[in-house]
Amino acid sequence: MAAAIANPSVSIQDLSLNFGVMSVLKTLNLDVAEGEFIVLLGPSGCGKSTLLNCIAGLLDISQGRIFIKGKNVTWEEPKDRGIGMVFQSYALYPQMTVEKNLSFGLRVAGVPKDEIAKRIARAAEILQIEPLLQRKPSALSGGQRQRVAIGRALVRDVDVFLFDEPLSNLDAKLRSELRVEIKLLHRRLQNTMIYVTHDQIEAMTLADRIAVMKGGVIQQLDAPQTIYNRPVNRFVAGFLGSPAMNFIKGHLEASDAPVFKADGVSVPLGRYQFDNESGRAAKPCVFGIRPEHIAFGEAARAMPFSAESSVEIVDPMGSDTLVWTKLGGQILSFRVEADKTLRNGDAIRIGFDPARASLFDAETDSRL
Amino acid sequence: MAEAAASMSGDALRREALSRDASGPSGTKPRHVLSRRNIFLYGTLIVVALYYLLPLYVMIVTSLKGMPEIRLGNIFSPPLEITFEPWIKAWSQACTGLNCDGLSRGFWNSVRITVPSVLLSIAIASVNGYALANWRFKGADTFFIILIVGAFIPYQVMIYPIVIILREIGIYGTLTGLVIVHSIFGMPILTLLFRNYFTSMPEELFRAARVDGAGFWGIYLRIMLPMSLPIFVVAIILQVTGIWNDFLFGVVYTRPDTYPMTVQLNNIVNSVQGVKEYNVNMAATILTGLVPLIVYFVSGKLFVRGIAAGAVKG
Repeated sequence: MAAAIANPSVSIQDLSLNFGVMSVLKTLNLDVAEGEFIVLLGPSGCGKSTLLNCIAGLLDISQGRIFIKGKNVTWEEPKDRGIGMVFQSYALYPQMTVEKNLSFGLRVAGVPKDEIAKRIARAAEILQIEPLLQRKPSALSGGQRQRVAIGRALVRDVDVFLFDEPLSNLDAKLRSELRVEIKLLHRRLQNTMIYVTHDQIEAMTLADRIAVMKGGVIQQLDAPQTIYNRPVNRFVAGFLGSPAMNFIKGHLEASDAPVFKADGVSVPLGRYQFDNESGRAAKPCVFGIRPEHIAFGEAARAMPFSAESSVEIVDPMGSDTLVWTKLGGQILSFRVEADKTLRNGDAIRIGFDPARASLFDAETDSRL
Repeated sequence: MAEAAASMSGDALRREALSRDASGPSGTKPRHVLSRRNIFLYGTLIVVALYYLLPLYVMIVTSLKGMPEIRLGNIFSPPLEITFEPWIKAWSQACTGLNCDGLSRGFWNSVRITVPSVLLSIAIASVNGYALANWRFKGADTFFIILIVGAFIPYQVMIYPIVIILREIGIYGTLTGLVIVHSIFGMPILTLLFRNYFTSMPEELFRAARVDGAGFWGIYLRIMLPMSLPIFVVAIILQVTGIWNDFLFGVVYTRPDTYPMTVQLNNIVNSVQGVKEYNVNMAATILTGLVPLIVYFVSGKLFVRGIAAGAVKG
């Protein structure tokens, strides 16, 4: 975990939330630095949207405190927290024009008219929605609606932006376009942003740091590359990456040079970085290796570990091809360039560098 | 083309010919106007419509006849001589008790009862429904259950207790009293209606408004209200027809000079002395039923939309 942040923009301390007997968030701690882009990533029902709603003040928490800009906002109303929120369903007021949608919060707050006009002009310019100002939301496309929704947070001149799966309702093409726009927006505004998604691509591309959540607990909070390359447990390892990481069950043989063994295969772990020395003890464990870290053919021979195998299934995916094979009697997939022609049953050689692998305790599922 | 055709084998030629044949089924399937299905469907609809419209026809025809013509006994025959005398009499001359100013008195009483009752009950019930749907306050569920149970208690049980309550407050026999009674009795069903409608609206809208800083009334008046025209129309129709057609509360909680139209109609039709003026009775009945009828005709489309939007879900 990263070192403590000196002046966190958002600080969540020992936050718990219970719905009746069900505990949704469990003594959760999170510090977000000024101007940081944090992504809360996790499967459905992991509590990521709930956490965001707690930060926004839309849900009353059971325990703990929330600070925004150093101010304790635990009991504050959403409007007094200095946050702007963008929702998955856009949540535009259908009876108002885009302009009225943008200005609603300002009108409620009694901001003077010329100030409202100025802020709307700025937001419309940033988001390129000037021609749409007099339209009703029903006359906009999904991408335009989401832009207006972002604009509504923008005009309020807030410290922290909260995004609740803002791109989930868009088609794949628009999603990637708006993703880039959000990234540019963040670079231009330099605001703190907390972004909830279940899409790992969004998380990897947007985040300064990702918080992977499961069952109301943050599993790992780190930079995207660290999370990808050094997942702290099997859940994080399996959740990030598509196609998913390969897992091979086996056991660790302790010695001066530890070795992973699984049904006829033994992988030397001399180059593997153990998290701590006690991890070297002999025990059942799971060996994880990402499909793109497996080399094949001539390149495999150069790797510290290589083995003979045969092709089971070939899945062409356009940009590259996913090949399924077996190692130690267990299924393994790896990526090759699309122009490699492999057929079912072909004998091949695969190899990898154990330094890029992840080793998990079979019992606790945590990284060794 | 010709060369290509010549080089084709016989089989291919036959297929070519088949695909060009115009006699096979193509395009929209033709529908027969006098199919068995249509005859059955429209036959049923026409018979049922006639069955319901016949009494209305008899009423209109009779109301346009003079008494000598009615005594001939041909209730289905159209009037030989059309007269509007019965209508005028029903509206402004028919006697109930000591008053001989026709239904007009009852009409204006009914207006004075219906308008405030409808406005009051809908205003309260819509806020109730909004609070129940969006602001889950402590005890909201219990409150809602009590309200729903209230909808199932027969009115008759509560008539006498309410008489006493109104008497103690000192508004028994006044229009104010009746307006309050109507508003209270409309509450369960209207609150249910509004709650279900507001529940069906996306919750994120409500959240967005809260982040924008709008409070309880701000969200209600500026976000929810403008979006709920259909359900308001439904509520207005339910209340206007319900309160206008009410007889029981009208007869119990008002005095003869403040009787609503329905009670007055009953007194005209059921008066025992003198000749039974069927034409006047028919005209009076149609006049009384006209208001709900007009409401339905004017708002039919919105009514259906509102029912579909709010009342079914929940």
